[in-house]
Amino acid sequence: MKLDLIDIKKAYGEKTVLDIPQMTIEEGKITGIAGPNGSGKSTLLNIISHIDDTYNGKVKYNGMDFSRDIAKNITYVFQKPYLFRRSVYDNILYPLKLRKLDKKTQENLVKDIMKRLEIENLSNKRGHQLSGGESQKVALARALVFKPHLLLLDEPTSNIDSESVKVMEREIVRFNKEREGTVLIVTHNLDQAQRICDTTIYLDSGRVSN
Amino acid sequence: MDYILQGFKEAINLIMTFDPEVFEIVLISLFVSMTATILASFFIIPLGVYLGINKFRGKRMVSRIIYTSMSIPTVIVGLLVAIILSRRGPLGYLDLMYTPKAMIIAQTLLLIPLVLGLTYSLAKNRGLNIARVAFTLGGSKFDSTVLIIKELKVDIMVNVATAFSRAISEVGAVMIVGGNIKGHTRVITTTISMMNSMGDYPMAIALGIILLIISFLINSFIYSYGQED
Repeated sequence: MKLDLIDIKKAYGEKTVLDIPQMTIEEGKITGIAGPNGSGKSTLLNIISHIDDTYNGKVKYNGMDFSRDIAKNITYVFQKPYLFRRSVYDNILYPLKLRKLDKKTQENLVKDIMKRLEIENLSNKRGHQLSGGESQKVALARALVFKPHLLLLDEPTSNIDSESVKVMEREIVRFNKEREGTVLIVTHNLDQAQRICDTTIYLDSGRVSN
Repeated sequence: MDYILQGFKEAINLIMTFDPEVFEIVLISLFVSMTATILASFFIIPLGVYLGINKFRGKRMVSRIIYTSMSIPTVIVGLLVAIILSRRGPLGYLDLMYTPKAMIIAQTLLLIPLVLGLTYSLAKNRGLNIARVAFTLGGSKFDSTVLIIKELKVDIMVNVATAFSRAISEVGAVMIVGGNIKGHTRVITTTISMMNSMGDYPMAIALGIILLIISFLINSFIYSYGQED
């Protein structure tokens, strides 16, 4: 999914937190968003995902305005993901149930993504009882399972062990290559940006910095 | 002091011998308050969640109205229902005054703002996070509402139990619209009030003990359910 951001402005009272005159996110690319704390990285993802619709300007999705159909093809993994008070398996199943896929397909997709992210052992554990790293992996699995067109990630690998980081990066890249999915990833880790991103945007005080 | 001890002894005796009058009063109380709680909860819980997680014009004013009406005095609700259901009132032709149905209507109206306010506050504070996840996984507003109710079911049940406790322990509304008619609209609270004014303590104490037992059982159930979750 190609994104065009046109004259995006977001302010809290007098303070402008995001000011992007023009930006294009290419389809099928992994784009990193880096910058110091408070530079507007998460705000940008909130606007693109339409969680925040109180901004000025326009975001075009493949040239179209935001709609319910577009929303169904965008997903967002938050920095501190919320997992439901049910099993990990049921957490990952949730977006497939929303899409009313047949039971066998649902089961195969959930098992496949759990295997890829190496979380099969967590299947029966309750979502809200997992560690931070486990939660991040389950949240990524839940986001990838329904094969979205646009994946938004807000520091998905912060505070997790290096093995888990490898697994998550591998699956993000696989999603990008196999599905030609567009990925926007907020990261403080410039090594990570170099490893997996095709291009990186630097934000500073809400503006794109060179 | 002797009359208090004597009152307790006789009260225990009334409970242990399954005194028909005591248990008839308890059953009517449970029927009226449970029905009112179910009616007030059924549509109002989804509405409270919906209002709590969505932005709309005038939300602040709606919040104030909801929170203010949560503490509406029971006698005011009773009076309002009595005026509407009385023979000369707009719904007088239904002949509902001094019936358990009138008591259920009054208690339902009493509980609606309470259930709405508690659910609204819960959804506003803890539901937004859940709604965001549902939205980013492709859920509609309806899906978000259903998900929030499922995720916060223990807290919602605590709210429902709070509403039931208010219903079964209130005396003003049921006294006005029920009339405390023996075997028909006499409930625990109206009987305690009446027995107290007559100086007949054993029956009042017996019903007081049963009221406390009901409250204890409900809270125990919710506590153990919350632990399991």
